[in-house]
Amino acid sequence: MSPKILLEPKSVPAETDSGARGVTTSATTLIHVVDDDDSLREALLRLLDVAGFEARGYASAGEFLLQPPPDRPGCILLDIRMPGPSGLALHESLQRQGVALPVIYLTGHGDVATGVRAMKAGAADFLTKPVDWETLLGALRRALARDALQRASRREAEQLRERFAALTSREREVFDRIVAGKLNKQIADELGVSERTVKAERAQVLAKLGASSVAGLGRLGEQLRRLSDG
Amino acid sequence: MASQPRLTSDMARTVFAMPAYLLDQLVVRLPAGAETLRARRWLIAALVAILSLPAFAADETAKVLVIYSNGRLLPANVEADRGLRAVLEGSPGRQLAIFDEFLDYPRFGGEAYEREFANYLRGKYGDDSPDVIVAAGNEALQFVIAHRAGLYSRVPVVHMGVTKQWLSTLPPLPAQIVGIPWDLDFAGTIEEALRLHSTARRLVVVTGASARDRQWEAELRSEVVPRFNGQVTAEFLAGLPAAGLRKRLGELDDNAVVFLAGFFRDGDGRDITPRDAAEAVASASAAPVYGPFETFIGTGVVGGRVSTFEDFGRRAGQSVRRLIDGASPESLRLPEVMPARLVVDWRQVRRWGIDAGAIPDDAVVRFRQPTFLEANRTEVMIAMAVFLLQAGLIGWLLVERRRRRGAEHAVERQRHELAHASRLAMAAELTGSIAHEINQPLGAILNNADAAELILDSGADRRDELRAILADIRRDDRRASEVIRRLRALISKHEVDRRPFELNEAVREVRAILDAEARRRRVTIDVLPARSPVPMMGDRVEIEQVLINLVVNAMDAMADVAEERRKVVVSVDNVTGGAEIAVRDHGHGIAPDRLPRVFESFFSTKREGMGLGLSIARTIVEAHGGRIWAENAPGEGAIFRMQLPATDFARQPSAGQP
Repeated sequence: MSPKILLEPKSVPAETDSGARGVTTSATTLIHVVDDDDSLREALLRLLDVAGFEARGYASAGEFLLQPPPDRPGCILLDIRMPGPSGLALHESLQRQGVALPVIYLTGHGDVATGVRAMKAGAADFLTKPVDWETLLGALRRALARDALQRASRREAEQLRERFAALTSREREVFDRIVAGKLNKQIADELGVSERTVKAERAQVLAKLGASSVAGLGRLGEQLRRLSDG
Repeated sequence: MASQPRLTSDMARTVFAMPAYLLDQLVVRLPAGAETLRARRWLIAALVAILSLPAFAADETAKVLVIYSNGRLLPANVEADRGLRAVLEGSPGRQLAIFDEFLDYPRFGGEAYEREFANYLRGKYGDDSPDVIVAAGNEALQFVIAHRAGLYSRVPVVHMGVTKQWLSTLPPLPAQIVGIPWDLDFAGTIEEALRLHSTARRLVVVTGASARDRQWEAELRSEVVPRFNGQVTAEFLAGLPAAGLRKRLGELDDNAVVFLAGFFRDGDGRDITPRDAAEAVASASAAPVYGPFETFIGTGVVGGRVSTFEDFGRRAGQSVRRLIDGASPESLRLPEVMPARLVVDWRQVRRWGIDAGAIPDDAVVRFRQPTFLEANRTEVMIAMAVFLLQAGLIGWLLVERRRRRGAEHAVERQRHELAHASRLAMAAELTGSIAHEINQPLGAILNNADAAELILDSGADRRDELRAILADIRRDDRRASEVIRRLRALISKHEVDRRPFELNEAVREVRAILDAEARRRRVTIDVLPARSPVPMMGDRVEIEQVLINLVVNAMDAMADVAEERRKVVVSVDNVTGGAEIAVRDHGHGIAPDRLPRVFESFFSTKREGMGLGLSIARTIVEAHGGRIWAENAPGEGAIFRMQLPATDFARQPSAGQP
């Protein structure tokens, strides 16, 4: 991919709708660069700036933690070896705090053990310095896409939760049984209502939750269970 | 007795000395009376002598009476006496008693004197006649001829030192008188002198004032000197007073050759021995002096054609011995004249610059200063042997030293290579940190380059930013190459290289090399340099290697220590005679029983590592004349200390400076 197509003015309004397509150039995207090496950090910030990204630099893990990131799409370019808490420690700390920004590790000397540890910690990518723009950009795009995806799924789950919350208790009972795979007749028997009533309530549930079919409803149920488990 | 000399024996003399009454007891029946007694004594003595002859003949002591013409201390007499005695005493045969008498001519002389002298001899020796008489010199022979009849008329006489010329004026000698006359070889001496001084144009002839001196003068004037007329101009200094003679001789130049006939009386009427005359003439003369007397040699006279007085003595001694052994005087067959040869004083040869090649081989060279080698032959041989032994020993030691140096060199090289191998291993261990350190600036450079390309592609005029980017790229490039330089200095294989360096700088360099590694291990390195520069002489890289080793060890020691306590303190201090470097960690210290062993090879408490680092460190420090040891710190952790001898930069050759 040629870098020039990415050169778009930052003032272009961000696409607010979900989907991975527009994220790379989103003006609201903010990239965090955490590296103790001043010249490398400055060079990265300069490159990102020239490429049209908004980026912010931090000289240490502590500095990043002191300024909680605004809730904007983006990712973290993180050096592993730093004085004070290492990049890995920062990553773990962020995960504990529920900061879900994807992390791209940048390391001066990548050994296998560190790489494995980083990927296990959920790294979006693991790059070794010096890193060329194409590689970096690819990693950034994937990370931002992942961020966007995560954000979208989070938003979806949010909406689902809101819709679910809008269900009456009778509708929840019906929903639970539908998801459990029970037939209208069985539900009617269990709830002591007519099969006709069940049918109407089922349509109501589907409508409220925005599902088009029972199969879609099943998927929703699965999602909800995961959300409640999480 | 004189008629039966062969019967003379101690036994016979004992008989003579016996009182008459004892003899009477021996031969009681013989008639008494003075004459009878004398006859009886003869008879008995003869009897005893005949009886004892076979047993006593060999032991009979023969008497030799030597009569000298002149005084006792005349050098000629002394020399002749030496030759005579050497032959007589050195040869086998009958025992000899030698008696010397001196006529003391020319101080004494005249018929009356000689008569008295004869009486004196008679009175002194009585009837106890000598077996042989030796007459030394003309006067002695004359005396013996004159008084022989009244003294010991039948005793054979050997003359020596009698001049041929004088002998020829005598009537033929009786058969009992034999000897080899000698001739003062005036002509031969002058001939040799002129041959040795071929450039001489004047012949100066010095003679004295006594009767004999005048005789010689006459002979020289009439017979000898005219022979050299064509060759040189001759002049005579005859019978001059001493002072005048000295003056004339002192005025000579090296055109002249002086011939001294020798004299017995000077122009002042003072009697003098010819030898003293020679000494006086030679010391006064500005030209070389030659003379026909052997005794002149050594007085300053160059030499002459002479018969030596010692030869006279020897020849006479040989004749005496044969006469005593029973030969008849007629059977001796002696040469007509004593052979003469050139005798020179080597000191004078040198003094007058005479060509040594002109001296014939049969010449006698006296006073040749033996060369050191000749004089001290044994000592020189010993010294030579000692010298040769010593030279051999020195050579051997040199070879040994060379060999030892070679071995030392090989050991040094081996140590050096081991140190290098150890550095390579150390560098490998530090690869991670080093790669990180190089990749940091390389990353920045790449990012900046990419940024610049994006700017250029955008077409926007952002020259200032591009300039800033280029400046950053340059800075990071320098940073990367500095890391590479340090690494290369560490791992490059260099020759054994002793140069001056500054210890604080070396410590700072070590810190720079280990900076990344320390960050990786989350260890702080504190460097406390000495207040003033610490000049050192040695292999800087190897000293740095030791320091790296110690610091890495210190970091290893703190691997399981809480991060905030991981601190290594490297301090440099000036101490008496050098510098001390201490590397302190805050680990758990070293178990006391392990402290003495930490510098041993293959001793390691770490799982990885060969246990060679500290042993190599110690060989390096010791090769620099220093020492290294470990101790536990008072609080916690261990301290490794090394002391290195100081070097005065000023005393080092500036060429060695980097």
